[in-house]
Order: sequence, then structure tokens, then C-alpha cells
Amino acid sequence: MKNLLICFVVLWAGELLSQNKQVLYGLEEVPQNLLLNPGSKVPQKYHIGIPFLSQIHINGGASGVSVYDIFGKSNVDINTRIRNKIFEMDEKDFFTLNQQLDIVNFGWLAKNDIYFSGGMYQELDFITYFPRDLAILAWEGNQNYLDYPFDLGQVSTTGEVLSVFHFGANKKLNDNLTVGIRAKLYSSLIHFQSINNSGTFTTRESTNGINIYEHEFQNVDVSVQTSGYASLRDADGSSEVISEILGRTFFGGNLGLGVDLGATYDIGRYWTVSGSVLDLGAVFHTNGVENYESKGDHIVNGIELIFPPLEDGEPTFPYFSNVVDEFEDKVGVDTLQTSYTQLRPLKVNGALEYRFGQQLGSGDACDCYNMGGGIETGQSVGLQVFSVFRPKGPQLAGTLFYYRRLWNFLSAKATYTVDPYSNSNIGLGMVADLGKFNFYLAADNLLLYGNIAKAKSVSLQLGINIKIYEQ
Amino acid sequence: MKTNLSVPIVIVLAFIFLSSCVKDTDFDEADAILLTPVVELDLIYFNLTASDFFDSSTSNPRLTVRDTTELPFLDDGFVQDGLKKADFLFKFTNGIPRRFDVDFQFLDEENTETYSTQTNVDQGTPQNPQPTDFTQTVEGDDLIELTKASKVVISVTIASSDENLEGELNLKSKTTYYLEL
Repeated sequence: MKNLLICFVVLWAGELLSQNKQVLYGLEEVPQNLLLNPGSKVPQKYHIGIPFLSQIHINGGASGVSVYDIFGKSNVDINTRIRNKIFEMDEKDFFTLNQQLDIVNFGWLAKNDIYFSGGMYQELDFITYFPRDLAILAWEGNQNYLDYPFDLGQVSTTGEVLSVFHFGANKKLNDNLTVGIRAKLYSSLIHFQSINNSGTFTTRESTNGINIYEHEFQNVDVSVQTSGYASLRDADGSSEVISEILGRTFFGGNLGLGVDLGATYDIGRYWTVSGSVLDLGAVFHTNGVENYESKGDHIVNGIELIFPPLEDGEPTFPYFSNVVDEFEDKVGVDTLQTSYTQLRPLKVNGALEYRFGQQLGSGDACDCYNMGGGIETGQSVGLQVFSVFRPKGPQLAGTLFYYRRLWNFLSAKATYTVDPYSNSNIGLGMVADLGKFNFYLAADNLLLYGNIAKAKSVSLQLGINIKIYEQ
Repeated sequence: MKTNLSVPIVIVLAFIFLSSCVKDTDFDEADAILLTPVVELDLIYFNLTASDFFDSSTSNPRLTVRDTTELPFLDDGFVQDGLKKADFLFKFTNGIPRRFDVDFQFLDEENTETYSTQTNVDQGTPQNPQPTDFTQTVEGDDLIELTKASKVVISVTIASSDENLEGELNLKSKTTYYLEL
């Protein structure tokens, strides 16, 4: 039971990486594919997701460390293992978690041959880079690091929970080209970010002879922006928190706008290229904003005593408080309520596909109305690229895939992905159309499912829809 | 052919999902995780001149001068739990041709002494100041007493003084905190 619980926790929360849904991308049988490429081909006439079940997505990863690295059974002391990892990782290593839950999802082919789709989903997104210097400072202290400038700029983290209302249009413009666009309205429940920080902390032997050391804070510019946090902190009891969060879920939060764009183009009968840009947008944080900022330079030399002549009972100077006050005056934390704009993490997908194998009955090869378009076959191979823009730059992933229609009602796609987490990531997805019901399940890092603790990332999507192909 | 391939794939996929687990791990080891930072921090410093030990208004020697500073972090719960050892280093440089006794009295909120230590400072001359280093390691029961304190009183006592006495007494100090968190 304990292992089961750990499995669940690790799957749900401990496993992290980019927002790559490489298995699901291009799987036209899954209506939620439109959320990855609004310009995907759409085979069905209608679809409606089973509420709360149409897409459950979890994706997490840690680029430099796995659960097994720390908690794996070993003769080496756990503290030695952690210390080794701290020194092995660098400040570009990161931990991420992305989770999406489709609440409502629907779509229909209108009379003008535009496939409209819309819905609402909830998303949680978190990334933190590894602040290596601060980890060393916490783990070892400063004794062995005199003269070493600990880099405060390594602190870089963002996190948010938001609900997304979206509506999109998809149209096959001609035999070769399908395009799509999706408008998004974001309602942010809670958000924080601490990015673009800088500054150093150095302890060195005194250069001015005042005391033994000098502790220098240099060019400090560290800030944290939060929205939706202060009011929850001040809320009275859990019921107030819940009602506050529910309110924000439905347009009550800080609002933002975004757009997804996508297209699919058939090059001849067997080749297809496709691409999409997702979450090109921003959230405008104006309500419930609380920001913390520390800026400046300061050198701490300790506490100077001046031995003033005092009468009996007369208090001396508050030396320590003065040191603290001076510190706060120079590099202390200011609390501000300045509105800020947060760019959503932009995602870019691209794919090239080659189809082969047995031509399927519904293919348009013999269709005089489709002389130039692609034909549908039972198998395909291809290449995909994915990029998500994070505070310290884009994170890239490349994928090779093999797709096969096993039966009319069952398709499978296997992927091999190289990304910052690993170069041995095998993924597999299956889509089944049973009557009007559409089921799908996709996951990656399957080689490590035997022991998830060794995986540095896991991605999982599953869902149920109702799809109708004919009117 | 299709059927031959797909059935094993379905079985394998189902098996993988159902059998996924965390193995060969020991999460109880989390209890053994111990941060052991060693932190070097400046403590107090001062410069006393010979004239500080003579009251010119009354023409009387002032043999002991005394000052106090709060050290509110000492009796903080974080320090009481995490501090395992503290090494104090006091570096005196004495350019006054007199010996000094220096007392460090650590007091709690009620001004009750919880820990104390003292040292002597060798005499020097204004032209040839003498260094005296005093180190004090505090651990065990002494440390428990030390971390009940929230302030320290420093008393500097000169052997004798007159109005013609010259020179400076300088102190620099630091503490090395050995923490276990």
C-alpha cells in the first residue's frame, strides 16, 4: 500500500519536465490534438469531451536528478549523494511540473466547413531552476568559500494555476492546406515569478581593516512578483479560500489573452508538414498583486561598540538593531503593489511526416476532387520538434515517431525523444474508437516505468470523448 | 499481420502501465538528511583610546568601561535547535602600555547571566601595539546556556590609568557557527 501511494505521489507530483506532448501531437484521432495544433486535420464532424475526463495531462521532469539518484538503495550515505548531486548539477538544471485538466471540450463542423471547437481547461505550470550557489551555501556554509561570490541571480522560478477558456476555428482551405486559430482567455488563480535576478554575496577577509571579515552584497537586484497570494494568505478559513479560488476560476482572477496558431500542409500524396505556436499571450496581473524587491549594495562588518559614558540604568545604543536597519535600508525587501504583465510560456511544435503502407479505404487518392492532397495510409514515420520558452531560454526536444493504424478502431504511435532530461525516452500512445466513444492514453519514458524512480521525466495524457464522424 | 502485432503491443502497454512502480528506493532515508553548514560571521569590533579610561571632568581614572549589544538570534529556536558548536575568535591589538581584563557576559531577557568567558590582553605601546588572540569553543551544556542568551555585556578593565596615558585598544572578532539542520 505504501509503495502504491508512493507510485501515485511520484507519478502525480514528483515527476516533471517540459510541456511536450510528443505522443499526442499529430494524432488526428484525438480531438484534443486541436489544442496542440489548431490547424490539424479534423476527421470527425462533432466531438464532445466527457467533462473532467476528456484530457488529463501530467508532465514533469528534473533535468539533472531523479528520485532514484537520491533515494535509491545504496551503500553511499544519502548526504554524500545529495552533496555529489549539488556539485554535479549546474544552474541551468531545472525542475518542472505541468498539469492540465480538460473541464469541457467540444467541437462541430459548421455548414461553411469550418470546424469550430472550444472549451475550458485548468492548468498548473511550475518551473524552478537549480540555484546551485545557494544550495552550496545552505549545504556547506561559507567557511570553505571565502572570496567566492555566491550568485543570487541563479534564483529563477515561476509558477501558476489558471483556467483557460478557448474557442478556435479550423478550416481546410484546399486539398493541401488546413489552417486553424484559437483564441484564449486566461483567468489566473495564482501566480508567482522570480526571474531576471542578479547580485552576489561574498565573504572575504576584511580589506578595510574594520573587522576580521567583510560580508558584501553587491549589485543585488532580486524580486518576486505574486498575484492571488496575498488575499489567500489573509483569507479567513478554508471555506473562504475555496470560494475565492472558485470565483477566480470563472473570470474572477487576473485576466489575460492569448492565441494559438497552426497549419498542416500536404506535400504531394505522402508527405505532410505541420506546425503550431501555442499560448502566444500574456496575463495582466492587476488584482491581489504583492511584489517583493531587494536592490542595492551593502557591506556588513559586524557590530561596532562605542562604549558611551552612561548613567546607571541608562540603556546603550541598539547596536544590533542599527545593523539590521542599515541592512534593510540598503538591501532590504520592499513590498510593492505594482501591476505586472506575465508572458505565458510560449510553445512551438513542428512535424514532418511520411506516410506509407496500405492505403486506407477512406483515402482520397482516387477522389477526383483531391488530385493534389495527401492520402491516408496505415503507417507513417516522421520527425517532430518541440520548444517551450522558459525564463533562461528555450527548452528543446526532438522526436522520431512511428504511427500505425492497427485496426479501423485502434491506432498506435511510438516515439523516441531526445530532450534535456534524457536521450532514451520511448513513448507510446493508443487511441481507440469504440462506437462513438474515443479513448486515448499516451505516456513517455516507458523504458523506466519498471521503476519510475529512475526517470527524470514522465509525461502522461489520457481522456475520453464522444466523436461522431457522419451527420 | 496487423493482428499479430497489435495484440502483443496492447498487452505490453497494459502491462507497463499496470506494473509501473518505484523500486529499490528507501524514502525513510529522508530522515537521515542533514545539512551541516559551517558559517563564518563577523561579531563585534571596537576601538578604545587611553582617554576612555580617564574621566577628565573629575580627573579620576575610569578603570572599567562597559557596553552591551543585543544578539537576538542567539536564543532563536532555529539556533537553539540547529547550532552544535560555536568557535569565537577575539583578536585584540593593544597599543596602550597597560594590561586589560576583558569579560564577556551573556545575558538572557531577564538580564540573568547564562554564560560567560574572560581573557587578558597583553600590554603594548603606541609605537608597538601587541596582538592577543583569544579563542573560545562553546559546545555541549555550555552551548545550551549560551543559546539562552540574547545579549552580551563586554567589560574592559584596565590595570591602572592616568591622564597622560596614550594608545589604542582595538578588537576584531568573528564566530564560526557549526550548524546541523
